[in-house]
Amino acid sequence: MLSVEILKVFPGFTLDVRWEVGDGVVALFGPSGAGKTLTLQCLAGLIRPDSGRIVVRGRSLFDSVAGVNRPVRDRNLGVVFQGFALFPHLTVMENIAFGLDRVASEVRRRRTEEMIERLGLTAVARLRPAQLSGGQQQRVALGRALALDPDLLLLDEPLSALDSPLRRSLRDDLQATLRGFGKTAIVVTHDLAEVCQLADQIVVYDRGRVVQAGRKSDVLGRPASPEVASALGIRNVLEGTVLESTAEFVRLDWRGHTMVAANWPERPDLPAAGSRVAFFVRPEHVRLMRKDRGGPVPERRVNLISGAVVGEVDMGSMVALQFRAEGDGPPQARGYDLEIEVSRLVHEKLCVYYDRQWTVSVQPSAVQLLPGLRASAAPG
Amino acid sequence: MIVLPAVLAVASLLLPPAIVQDTLTVFAASDLQLPFGAIVPMFERVTGQKVVLVFGSSGALAAQIERGAPADIFFSADQGYVQQLVDREVLYRGSDQVYALGYLSLVTRRGSGLMLRTLGDLAGSGVVRIAIANPAHAPYGRAAQQAMRRAGIWELVEPKVVLGENVRQAVQFVTTGAVEAGIIARSLAGDPALVAIPVDPSLYDPILQTAGFVRRTARLELARRFLAFVTDTAGWAVMQRYGFARPTSP
Amino acid sequence: MDFAPILMSARVASLATLLAVVTGTPLAWLLGRHRFRGQAFIEGLVLLPLVLPPTVLGYYLLVLVNRSAPVGQLFDGLGLELAFTWRGAVLAAWVGSFGLFVRAAQAGFELVDPRLEDAARTLGRSEWSVFCAVTLPLAWRGLAAGTALAFCRAVGEFGITLMVAGNIPGRTQTVPLAIYDYVQANRMAEANALSLLTLAVVGLLLLLARRGSGARL
Repeated sequence: MLSVEILKVFPGFTLDVRWEVGDGVVALFGPSGAGKTLTLQCLAGLIRPDSGRIVVRGRSLFDSVAGVNRPVRDRNLGVVFQGFALFPHLTVMENIAFGLDRVASEVRRRRTEEMIERLGLTAVARLRPAQLSGGQQQRVALGRALALDPDLLLLDEPLSALDSPLRRSLRDDLQATLRGFGKTAIVVTHDLAEVCQLADQIVVYDRGRVVQAGRKSDVLGRPASPEVASALGIRNVLEGTVLESTAEFVRLDWRGHTMVAANWPERPDLPAAGSRVAFFVRPEHVRLMRKDRGGPVPERRVNLISGAVVGEVDMGSMVALQFRAEGDGPPQARGYDLEIEVSRLVHEKLCVYYDRQWTVSVQPSAVQLLPGLRASAAPG
Repeated sequence: MIVLPAVLAVASLLLPPAIVQDTLTVFAASDLQLPFGAIVPMFERVTGQKVVLVFGSSGALAAQIERGAPADIFFSADQGYVQQLVDREVLYRGSDQVYALGYLSLVTRRGSGLMLRTLGDLAGSGVVRIAIANPAHAPYGRAAQQAMRRAGIWELVEPKVVLGENVRQAVQFVTTGAVEAGIIARSLAGDPALVAIPVDPSLYDPILQTAGFVRRTARLELARRFLAFVTDTAGWAVMQRYGFARPTSP
Repeated sequence: MDFAPILMSARVASLATLLAVVTGTPLAWLLGRHRFRGQAFIEGLVLLPLVLPPTVLGYYLLVLVNRSAPVGQLFDGLGLELAFTWRGAVLAAWVGSFGLFVRAAQAGFELVDPRLEDAARTLGRSEWSVFCAVTLPLAWRGLAAGTALAFCRAVGEFGITLMVAGNIPGRTQTVPLAIYDYVQANRMAEANALSLLTLAVVGLLLLLARRGSGARL
C-alpha cells in the first residue's frame, strides 16, 4: 500500500502528482522528462518535495503539513538505480550485505548467502562489479536492495542499461523476482513492452502530471484521453463524427466509412449525434479479408474498409502494413490512414507484397472510443 | 598512504632530539667560517662542551637574534650591529668586546689568467664582474664598497658589482668562476683556489669585529669561556693564521 | 656524514604531511563534493601559497608567529615556541604543501559518483558511514597522490623555513638548508651526497605513489 502526493516546483517544470496503489508491481510510465525519476527520488528521500504526503504501508515518510520528513536512511526502501550504482570497490557479497551492517554478523552472513543463491550469483560472489555481465550486475543491484527486506522497492529503468537481446530474458527474471517480493514495487520505465510484461498497475505521467492511473488492463485497454493514448504509444488514433449512440454501441462516420464501436457499460456518456469523437483501432486487431474463400462470413461482415497497402515496415516477426483507405479526403498522415500489424506468416501466405488491394474488417470491440479530442490526428 | 608519514612522524618524534641540551649556539659572521671551523673542535675537546655554529652576514644574524633566534653569543664583523642590539637590549650592556681586527683582500680565481695588482685594475676590460658581500647587511661588503669609492673607481665599476648574501657567498662566486674578481675578507682568502692580494687598509675604515652576549642565554658562563678561548693563546693563534690582528683599543 | 639534517627533515616533513592530510581532507571533501557560494574564492585561497613567492609567505608567517604577535604569544604561552624551532619548520613545510594536497585530494573526491553515495544512504547508512565506506575509498587515489606530493614538497621546503625557522644546525636545519650551507662553505662533496640522497628518496616516493595509486600526479 502506497499513497503518494507530491508538489515540487522547479523553474520551467512543476511536478504535481497524486496517486495511490496497492501491493504488486506498479509501472510509472511516460516519456523522458515527465517527472517519473523525480517522483522516485522524492519517495526515496533524496529530494524534498515542496509539499505533499508519502505514506508506505501505514508509515508516514513525508508529510509537509505534519512536519514529517524521514531521513533517507530511515525509510527502509530498496532502490535499484539506473545504471545500478554498484559499489565498484566491493565484491558482490559485500555489495549485497552493505545495507545489513547493523545486523548481527551471523544473520547478515546467512541472509546474504540466501540472496546470492536465490539470484543465482553463487559463482560470482567474490568478484567485483566490473567483472560481471550486465545481467549479473542487475541481479546484484536487486539483491542489494532486497536484502534489507524493504517496505517498498523502487526501480529506475532497471533494464535500460542492458543490451536488447538480453532484455527479454532478463525481463523474465525480473518478473519472477518481483513476483516473489510481494509488497509494492515501483518500476519507472518508458518501454511499453516492460510495462506490459511486468506491471499489475500503471501510473501514466505526462509533463509532471498523472494523466491516468489504474489496473494495467484498464489503462492499456481504455486510455482516458488521446494524450494518454499517444503517451502509451497507441497507433491509429482517428477522429470521426457520431451518427448514433446507444448503451451498446456507437455508430460513427469516418471519412465516408461507417464504423460501429462497442460501447462500454462503465462509460456513462453517450456522445451526441453529430459530435466529433476520437477513437483508436489497434493495429493487431485489423483483419485482412482473405480473397480465396468467397467473401467474409457474416460475423466478420462488419466495419469493412476497402483500400490499398501503400507500404510496409519489416519488424522481424511481424510486419506493419501502411493502409490507405478508399474514400474522400487526404490520408491521415504520411500517406496512409491505418497501420495494420500482421504476422510474417500471414504476410507471406497472402502475398501482400504483390497483391496490394485489400478489404479489412475490425470487430466493434476493437474500435475503442477516447474521451476528448486531440488537436491533430495522426496514426501514432 | 597515510600510514607512511604517520609511521615516520611517530618514529621521528620518538628519536632522541638531534640537539644536545647543553650546546652553545654561536652566531658568527661569515668571515669567521674557516677560523671558527678550526677553533670550535679545539674548544669542544678542551671543555667537553658541544658548540653549534650558525654563519651568516652580520646584519642578517642580528635581525634573527632580535627576533628571538636562540643564539648565546654573537660574533659580528663590525661594531654597529652589536651596538644596535645592545641599545635594543637584546645583548647585555657592557658585554660588547672588540675581539679582532679584520682586513680586505682582492681575489681572483687561480688559473683564470687574470693578473690584478691594485684596486684600479678592476676597471680594466678583463674584469666583467666583481663580487662583494651585500653592503646592506654585511660589514665586509660595506668596507669593500668604501674601498672602491676611496680608490676613485666606484662609478666605473659599479655596474660590474655582484652582491653576495654574505662574504662567504661572494667567495663562492669567485671560486666557481661566476665572477672574475672579488673583494672579500682576508680570513677567507687563503683558499688554494684563489689568488689574493691585500687591499690597502687606508682605503677603508678599520673593520672592528665585535662580540656580545645575548640576554636570553642560559649559558652565559660557557659563552664567556668561548669568547675568552677565541682571544686567548690557543684560539688566537688560529685567528692570527687567518689574517686577523689584535684590536688596538683596549 | 652528519645525519642531523636527515633526521630533522624526516621529522619535519612527516609531521607537516600528516598535518596537511588531517587539515586538508575535510576541506578537500567540502570543495569536491559540494557546490556553494564562495567556493571559487576558497579554492583561490588554497592555491595562493602554491604560487606566492616563498619570501612573501615567509614574511607573513613571521609577522604571525613572532613573539610580539598574538598567535606567537599563544604558542609561546603553551610552551610551543614556533619561531626558530623545528615546530616553525613544520609550520613552514605545512604552508608549502597544504595546497598541493588539497588540490589532488579534491580531484579525488570529485570523481566519486554521487549516486553511489545516494545508494549507500538508501541502504540505511549514516552520513559518516557513507563517507567512510563509500566516499573515502573511492577518493583514495586522489588522497594518496596528494599525500605523496605533499611529502615531497615538505621535504624540499627551503625559503619559508629559512625565514621562519632559520638555518640552525641541530634545531631547524633540514636537508635543503644543510645543502645550502655546504655549498656556501664550499663543501661540495657533502652537498652532493645530501642532494643525491634527497633525489633518490623523492624519486622513489613519487614512483611508488604513482604505481600504488595509479593517479595522474
